[in-house]
Amino acid sequence: MSLKILKFTLNGDPIEIAISPDEMLIDVLRDKLELTGTKKGCGKGECGACTVIMNGEAVNSCLVPAMKASCAVVETIEGVGSTDEFHPVQETFMDMGAIQCGFCTPGMIMSAKALLDRNTDPTSKEIKKSLAGNICRCTGYVKIKKAVQAAAEKMREKQ
Amino acid sequence: MKEYKVIGKSVRRLDAVEKATGTAGFTSDMKLPGMLYGKVLRSPHPHARIVSIDTSEAEKLPGVKAVATHKNTSRELFNTSATMTFTVPPMQPVLDQYIFDNVVRYVGDEVAAVAATSEKIAEAALKLIKVEYELLPTVYDPKEAMTTEAPVIHQCEMKNVPGEVIQIPFGDVEKGFAESDVIVEKEYKLPVVKQAQMETQAAVAQVSLDGKITVWCTTQTPHPTKMILAKLFSVPESKVRVLNPPYIGGGFGVRIGCSAKAEPIAVALSMLAKKPVKVVYSREEDFIASDTRHAGYVSVKLGAKKDGTFHAMHLKATLNGGAYCSFSVETPGVLGCMGLAVYRVPNQFYYGHSAYTNTTPAGAMRGFGNPQAMYAIESTVDMMAEKLGIDPLELRLKNIMQVGDPWVLPYKCGSTGLAECIEKGAKSIGWENRGKLNKPGAKKLRGIGMGVGTHVSNAWPFCGDYDNAYVTIQQDGSVHLASGVPDMGTGTSTTLPQLTAEVVGVSLDRVSMTLADTASTPFDIGSHASRALYAAGTAVVEAARDARRQVLEYAADLFKVAPERLVLEDSVIFPAGQTAGDDCAGSPVCTIGGKERKSITLKELAYDAHQRNKQFIGVGRIVPENAPPWHAHFAEVEVDTELCQVRVLRVAAVHDVGKAIHPVICEGQIEGGVLQGIGYALSEEIKYDDRGRQLENSFHKYMLPTADDVPEIETGLVEAHEPSGPFGAKGVGECGLVPTAPAITNAIYNATGIWFCEIPVTEEKMFRALKEKAGKTV
Repeated sequence: MSLKILKFTLNGDPIEIAISPDEMLIDVLRDKLELTGTKKGCGKGECGACTVIMNGEAVNSCLVPAMKASCAVVETIEGVGSTDEFHPVQETFMDMGAIQCGFCTPGMIMSAKALLDRNTDPTSKEIKKSLAGNICRCTGYVKIKKAVQAAAEKMREKQ
Repeated sequence: MKEYKVIGKSVRRLDAVEKATGTAGFTSDMKLPGMLYGKVLRSPHPHARIVSIDTSEAEKLPGVKAVATHKNTSRELFNTSATMTFTVPPMQPVLDQYIFDNVVRYVGDEVAAVAATSEKIAEAALKLIKVEYELLPTVYDPKEAMTTEAPVIHQCEMKNVPGEVIQIPFGDVEKGFAESDVIVEKEYKLPVVKQAQMETQAAVAQVSLDGKITVWCTTQTPHPTKMILAKLFSVPESKVRVLNPPYIGGGFGVRIGCSAKAEPIAVALSMLAKKPVKVVYSREEDFIASDTRHAGYVSVKLGAKKDGTFHAMHLKATLNGGAYCSFSVETPGVLGCMGLAVYRVPNQFYYGHSAYTNTTPAGAMRGFGNPQAMYAIESTVDMMAEKLGIDPLELRLKNIMQVGDPWVLPYKCGSTGLAECIEKGAKSIGWENRGKLNKPGAKKLRGIGMGVGTHVSNAWPFCGDYDNAYVTIQQDGSVHLASGVPDMGTGTSTTLPQLTAEVVGVSLDRVSMTLADTASTPFDIGSHASRALYAAGTAVVEAARDARRQVLEYAADLFKVAPERLVLEDSVIFPAGQTAGDDCAGSPVCTIGGKERKSITLKELAYDAHQRNKQFIGVGRIVPENAPPWHAHFAEVEVDTELCQVRVLRVAAVHDVGKAIHPVICEGQIEGGVLQGIGYALSEEIKYDDRGRQLENSFHKYMLPTADDVPEIETGLVEAHEPSGPFGAKGVGECGLVPTAPAITNAIYNATGIWFCEIPVTEEKMFRALKEKAGKTV
């Protein structure tokens, strides 16, 4: 298959890369661009470990044909916060016991961030729904949900 | 009570920053120069002989660098279970598998593997391997597997029974039943369930041209896995390095050893191709080819006196071991020991074993036989309570094990906070409302139930067991800890440094840890059996004490006082009775660098030692004991009698964890275990079709609880000091899963009047049961 040029914005930077048109976004991110923070838990859109934010929406990057990201704005865990200033969701995940093995964490944080980017005052039902596509086998979700709630509070305080 | 500076505090985990930013290293993220990608060809048949295998077409495909089969790989028999390959007497190792064999014994069994320059090419090459199979007869049920008609899966002394039958006598069980006033007897059927850890089994192997082997992988037991690989490939153990990179995406038991053989296959391919090879299993492979929890049958016969005193119990287990032994000898052992350890019953007997079948091998999963035992026992205890007309909570309080009671285990019951767990949990759930929750004619019925249990804090006496650790004071007074246990999410990379900091007398930010690497840490049997904090932690405490002792002895020379008179606190050393920096007249004075000092920092001391050619290296070498954690779970459920659905509304889970070194990590372990227990009770199961194929082989089909299904979970910690544990701590990792299922099924009975003796209680089962009940009462 002949290669195609994919252009998109990734974590604020312009990206131009030659890819095979049958590649999925997750593979371009992980293998070509070496952004391995996005995890592959199933490759079939069933676990949410590969969640990234595309044009403001949380998506399973293993279900997105990479060419669909053409001209899109894509955000991965590598683009969220920094050691100088973590995103509130990262802060609360770290401080409230929401992280165990850490494999679901990047996807979980991206789903939570997508929710909080459009709504800093979500109900607990909205939080549950926004995380329902992200599987975590370690935590029982208890501390994850509390961390998202606390992050929302932090974000509201900042506003 | 002693005031601790570091332990007992829920600090930010030391792995948190890396994990929250996506920079934490996992095997599946690794890439080495020249690395190839390995893929495995798996059997489509549940039992077959490989008549011929032709790999020539696959080898010709451009990009293919190696094809491995039973013809060109190790013919050394082994067991993917680390503890079974190197078990200790009286248990005998059961070695029943090769990397690849000429007989396949379950759908998914490894037939061949390919290493190629890309995953796509490797996958394409698998399709070019021609295999001719001669189909063999099959059996899927452990009881059937023991009958004369069943095919022989492996030659055994007792038909298809791996290893030995575990028998645990205690008192005189026959006499006990004869003396009992009331007897309840029931058999329970348990499902195949899966760890479903988030990162699939994975390994990257690099074989250097001089024969050294390095394997980055997802194992929970780097050191024992190194032993298995050295044996398999006939290489000295000193030339094999196994490490996590350094994190693993969950474990829950599936990685004790090298279940599903990602490590041996990666090494075999790397040897053939002379390049690094990465093997990452797909989720489907992980579901069908890595060890499951043991399904099977557990029966309980319980006898009691009229006043509710338990007098006799007979426990029997016939577990489905699947196609290879793995942990199928130890699991029935733990099932029996844990089942017999909860209640003081003077006359008991346990008889349990596994049987080979043509299904995915069963091995270790969180709880290791204990959830199977306690689902059966705790259901039976509730039945007994009803028969006696005694409140199930009171019946349990009357019969639970007490400190010093004789029991079947070779170590003491040194502590129990179970009564307190029961009382706290009852208060939290509102036990007094039990039976008063439903209005007449309600379609949604609510009920409350409970379950209790114990577990281990360590693997002994179920396998060989010892731990080592090094604590090294760096030249600037900071502290390095080396321990061979991994952190599979359970927090060892935080809690073990916490122990180190507390013992040495420094703040946590002065400590760093190397973990899970056989080249830079001393031998440790690994992270399983709820043991990492309790057992590896005991070695860490020992090593830290040793390092501290050396520091104080060195300082004593400088201060010219006995080392016992010196204090090391917050990285400062000073004589007892004065605080650091005090200008206390008449106190001992340390002379360092020509200056007289009342105190000296660890940094100054360590550098002074460095200038005199000395470093403080603490070594911990221990053989850990074992100790029982205790737990009581309460569940409130709602059964929708029209939709036949069970919803868990609330769970109260109170655990006696001994000293909680990091309370939030303890809570997290419990909450995660509770949710896995809810899945065990209500939704999780792998079933097989009549051709031996796993029907649930993806997250889409295997019903894990999601964020949307979580009930309110209230966790409580009871800290009954355990004399044998570090600072009084004991295990916590597995317990959350143990009593959850029976708490739920007992709550379902309380709501509906129906006992479910088979889990999971799916909508289908509930529909049938409700229909049957209605039919009977009409």
